[in-house]
Amino acid sequence: MIADCGLRIADLETDKRRKNMMELKQTPVVDVTEMKQLHEFHSALPEQAERVETNTSGPVIVSDGFCLYYGSKAGVKDITMDIYPRAVTAIIGPSGCGKSTFLRSINRMNDLIPHTRAAGKLAVNGQDVYDKRVNLVNLRQQVGMVFQRPNPFPKSIYDNVAYGPRLQGIRKRSRLDEIVEKCLHDAALWEEAKDELKKSALALSGGQQQRLCIARTLATGPRVLLMDEPCSALDPIATGRIEELIRKLKTDYTIVIVTHNMQQAARVSDRTAFFCLGDLIEYGLTRDVFTNPQSKQTEDYITGRFG
Amino acid sequence: MRTRLRQFGDRTFTTVSGLSVLLLTGALVVILGPLFWRGAGAVVFRGTVEFRRMQYDMHGRGNKETLNAESDQAAHVRKDAYDLLESFAAGIDTTGLQKEARRIYRQFKTQLRNKVENIAITPEEASLLKSVGKKLRNHLLEAYETTKPDEAKQSLDFVLKHAGDENLAGSVAGQFFDMARQYLQIVITVDLTRREEYGETLNEVQEIIRELLGPRPGEPLPELSQFQYGATRWDRAQLLLDRLVWNEEWVEQGSGKSLKKVRTKRAEQFAGTELAGLFPMVEQNLEKMLCPQRTFYWQYFIDDSTPGHFFGGVGPEILGTLLLTLLSMVFAVPLGVTAAGYLVECAGDSRFVRVIRTCINTLAGVPSVVFGLFGLAFFVLYLQPKLGLPKGSSILAGAMTLAALVLPVLIRASEEAIRAVPRSYKEASLALGAGKFRTFVTVTLPAAAPGILTGIILSISRAAGETAPILFTAAVALGPIPETLTQPTRTLSYGSYDIAVGDRIAALVPHQQYGMVMTLIALVLVLNLAAIIIRRRLEAKLRGQ
Repeated sequence: MIADCGLRIADLETDKRRKNMMELKQTPVVDVTEMKQLHEFHSALPEQAERVETNTSGPVIVSDGFCLYYGSKAGVKDITMDIYPRAVTAIIGPSGCGKSTFLRSINRMNDLIPHTRAAGKLAVNGQDVYDKRVNLVNLRQQVGMVFQRPNPFPKSIYDNVAYGPRLQGIRKRSRLDEIVEKCLHDAALWEEAKDELKKSALALSGGQQQRLCIARTLATGPRVLLMDEPCSALDPIATGRIEELIRKLKTDYTIVIVTHNMQQAARVSDRTAFFCLGDLIEYGLTRDVFTNPQSKQTEDYITGRFG
Repeated sequence: MRTRLRQFGDRTFTTVSGLSVLLLTGALVVILGPLFWRGAGAVVFRGTVEFRRMQYDMHGRGNKETLNAESDQAAHVRKDAYDLLESFAAGIDTTGLQKEARRIYRQFKTQLRNKVENIAITPEEASLLKSVGKKLRNHLLEAYETTKPDEAKQSLDFVLKHAGDENLAGSVAGQFFDMARQYLQIVITVDLTRREEYGETLNEVQEIIRELLGPRPGEPLPELSQFQYGATRWDRAQLLLDRLVWNEEWVEQGSGKSLKKVRTKRAEQFAGTELAGLFPMVEQNLEKMLCPQRTFYWQYFIDDSTPGHFFGGVGPEILGTLLLTLLSMVFAVPLGVTAAGYLVECAGDSRFVRVIRTCINTLAGVPSVVFGLFGLAFFVLYLQPKLGLPKGSSILAGAMTLAALVLPVLIRASEEAIRAVPRSYKEASLALGAGKFRTFVTVTLPAAAPGILTGIILSISRAAGETAPILFTAAVALGPIPETLTQPTRTLSYGSYDIAVGDRIAALVPHQQYGMVMTLIALVLVLNLAAIIIRRRLEAKLRGQ
């Protein structure tokens, strides 16, 4: 029997490997020409291109030589970049390069992991995030976060969205109703959910759940939205809707999005940062990074030669 | 080959696991089945007229008229047995007859004195009659005292010779002849040489009859209610009948050998006497004497019992068990859940925390009697006087002891449940700006609730069934229903323990013992069922249905 089990595990593993290979084969290799086409698609949207140019009213998030260590190992090191308001900044890079670490540093979600230590400067609206005196509650209400997997609470849709406002002490029913409706509107979920606000959030589909999570985050009134691979657990249609939502939201919010999907970065972002092994390799306007990468590493990554 | 090996392995696994589940089910049926079956005997049984009489007297249940009719009918059948017993007893126990003879002689003397005063007879005649009366009395007494039938007959013949005496006619002395005639009848039927032997067994027979049919009508009612009624249950009546009909004796088999039980029919013991007829008569008429009827005594679960559990139910025991169990949960659940929350969310993984965890695990394995002694020492003897509460064991102390007992189990279960809450829930809450406490209360705890409930279910079962922790802290075997939490209470677990160790009681009221055990199991099942239903609801809610 033991031998039998061993066999089966081996079978499973080879199976997995085979599957991975298949997937790799299926993943289209993004080449530079395709990127150029994408870019042309982007510049065809005039107001978007314009915004990138005009949004120079000073960065919202300033990172200056920021490092974060897990114990003695560096998660990210010496990150220096400015993130601008009312724009989408994408962070791309291979797995384990520190994209998520950096993102989670911005609202200090890394505090949950023991033995983390920060160095350098990371400021949101001029306030040092890793200052000892910083009020975490205020920071996290200002800097909202959407996670990789949709994670609504096992409560009703209404209670999910109202969770943040209730934390802030809003108890009045009419006010809460107002906020819930507005946020669901903003997250493009109102039409689908308005009749089932009392239903459990877990009864929604994955894409709807993710939009609910966005609505929930919006309800706390943030200025910055951090999105950690928000579409990686969704199908292409749901992904499309989320991307559409991101484009809509950037008129009001500063959005930082981590993604594995380079097309997605190209589609939704104004600026792109490429991380590799904890270092920031390249950061610039998306169009420039994808069409004319300055670094060999970047070029290799976006053309699919490694990663 | 490989595929076949794998298939064989799979099939073996399925078979073995299926068989073990079957075995488990079988074991469950074997263990619980008899308990429930015999325990149900406390609720559904054949109740006799004595049972209905008791129910009417104590609780006013039943219809007085039908009960009276039934009682009269039973009394009618019983009367023959009582008469038989009485006349036989008269032959065996002649002290009463002797007294009677002396009384009659005294009366005779006063009668003569009166006659002399009224000048109906002369004093000489009177003294003659007096000497005759004295002679009669003495012979009668001799007859009563002797164990030799010939002597007794001679004496009685002497007395009866005077029966035709004109001088004695119409006087009190006439009663002597009646007594002599009656006793002659007894001398003919009863073997006087075995009078002593009969006396002993007769006492036993009388006792059994009293237990079976209750006190004789006209006899003063005994103080204790348990002796005021006969056998209330038909199964008990059958046992008593067996004891009545059969005499059991332990006979020596010779030196060095063990004793042997020998059963002989009492009818044979009393063969040749009029009492021999009693046994077949009772045996045949027992149904008419007791009128057994199928009874569904659901009040068993609410009735108080007589002292010693002879009659009645387990109401106070159920109340006490519920009180203790639920109160212990009131103490244990908040403490346990907060402790678990601290261990998971705040404590990290320092050496101190590891030591604490080991302590909790050790505590879970400590024998319950140790907790009982701790409760006695700390809650009853130390804390209660400090807080100015009444002395002695109390529900409060017992509940706290039980809480201490189940706390480790509860903490372990809650810890696992809280640990199993997806991290994403906590992250989401924290990312929305909630503090640690807020996150724990509004997100983690509701998500962990089903798991915590599982721990509570285990704890309830344990707390309800434990005897040792409440032995010194909360339980009494007999006593009033508690009015405050500072009084001790009866409980199901302690009650069945007490009946089991009380040496005679267990044989007398086995149905009470089984009834208590069944009730305890049923109670735990009901509590568990309630908790399971709540857990189902919560789980469904968590799953989004």
